[in-house]
Amino acid sequence: MTGGSGRRRAPSDTGGTAAPHERGQAGPRRPEIGSSRRAADWLFGPQPVERLVLLRIVVPVAVLAFLSSRMIHADEWLTSKGFHPPDLGGGDWRQPLYLPPVPSWAAWAIVAATAIAGISLAVGFHPRKAAGAFAALTVYLVLADRLEAFTVSKAAPVLSLALSASPCGVRFGIDAWRRSRRASPGALPPTEQVSGGAVRFFQAFLLVMYSGSGIAKARGDWLSGDVLWSHLHDDYQTAVGWQVMNALPAVGWRILQAITLGFELGAPLWFTLPWTRTAALVVGLGMHLMIALMFGPVVWFALLMGGMLIACYAPRTLLVRAFARHSESRHA
Amino acid sequence: MRLALAVGYLGAVWMDAAGVRAVGRALPAPVRFFTQIAELFPRAAEDAIEWRVKGWLCDRRQFDEIDVRPFFPIRANDKENRFHRGMFFYSREARVLRELDAYIVASQNRSRPGQRIGGVMILSLRIPIPPPGVADPRYERKPLSAYPATLARRYWYVTGSAAREQRCQERS
Repeated sequence: MTGGSGRRRAPSDTGGTAAPHERGQAGPRRPEIGSSRRAADWLFGPQPVERLVLLRIVVPVAVLAFLSSRMIHADEWLTSKGFHPPDLGGGDWRQPLYLPPVPSWAAWAIVAATAIAGISLAVGFHPRKAAGAFAALTVYLVLADRLEAFTVSKAAPVLSLALSASPCGVRFGIDAWRRSRRASPGALPPTEQVSGGAVRFFQAFLLVMYSGSGIAKARGDWLSGDVLWSHLHDDYQTAVGWQVMNALPAVGWRILQAITLGFELGAPLWFTLPWTRTAALVVGLGMHLMIALMFGPVVWFALLMGGMLIACYAPRTLLVRAFARHSESRHA
Repeated sequence: MRLALAVGYLGAVWMDAAGVRAVGRALPAPVRFFTQIAELFPRAAEDAIEWRVKGWLCDRRQFDEIDVRPFFPIRANDKENRFHRGMFFYSREARVLRELDAYIVASQNRSRPGQRIGGVMILSLRIPIPPPGVADPRYERKPLSAYPATLARRYWYVTGSAAREQRCQERS
């Protein structure tokens, strides 16, 4: 959640502070610097703008996709027309804050504002303000109704706040396109790198999610039970899940479970070491793809995590190539 | 300041998932709620749980299964629907179960006036999960009557007989 302004690529931007696989040739030996300075350089050093832009797109799209099945029933969700647990009087872990149902017009206004803020953020139209509004609205939606609060919506406010504190609208969006239309012929080329604080936050967020989840799994049944198999037998089961369930032998489920646990527990290591990062990315994306295909409604969580994984850890060259055809400079 | 907030948030998320609850307990409940996001599927399911409702049919004076999915239209056909979530969180919370009772009765009597009910019986089915590697038919929702009587059922809430009678005598 540490933003900064966008910047154009400078020769020094690629050294030391960029992810190891993004480094260029080693330059002249630098003078010795303190560890706090090195940490600050690592945290806030430049990152490819494409990472931040992809996060700006993935986060609101995945969250809105998750919320969409609730939004179309705004009356049921947020007004007294639907079922709502009563005020349990505070101190109840299931109801951190009681917010009473709102009138129908307010419910529809809230979901409309949420959709507008999320879409504005994704398309880069006043994205920082949109991200702030999206964060505030998702805070309300999560607290207003415990029954519809899941990991995707509970993570949305902080992820949106991180975007609002970042230069996420500097490229590849409506604001950036309008700026390029107004730019004079001799204007500086489009920004290629941004201050890395926000990207580092998202990278750390993923590692915290994976390793925290891995520890919870290890403390639970994942070392001895058949967890993956057991969760495929209810209404989360998709057609693909059912096919895989019946095709894979018992030992296959244990192997998948071990890979998942090993990936999550070791995620901080796998993604920090440059020589394991690509393999970890492939395993992580495979895991999220499997979740998306086999566990019905969890598809939006898989989209959010998989999208953030690509934005945060995919090789820079891939991201740059993917965005190249959409560069504003083509329209200038 | 931003850096401190980011580190604090990430630390709280990680510690909550790792089972270190002390930091979370120091946070206000609404703030802590947003840090409880990483403890994902830690336990194996012992059985597949299905929540069902029987309604007290006023004309026949007996309980029979009613399909409550239309009364909870958000994700009506999976366990993210509000009825399932309500029972998942509040199956032992009498205040919530009474609200649920009133809501289901009102919804049934409004939408199916020919099948008025005076109360509900809320139960869970525990459908056994076969051992890994054993072929299992595709999941489908079946009526209660399709399950053998030997299947484990647990009754969580029943509307009192006086309330059932009173509601049956009321006209919508």
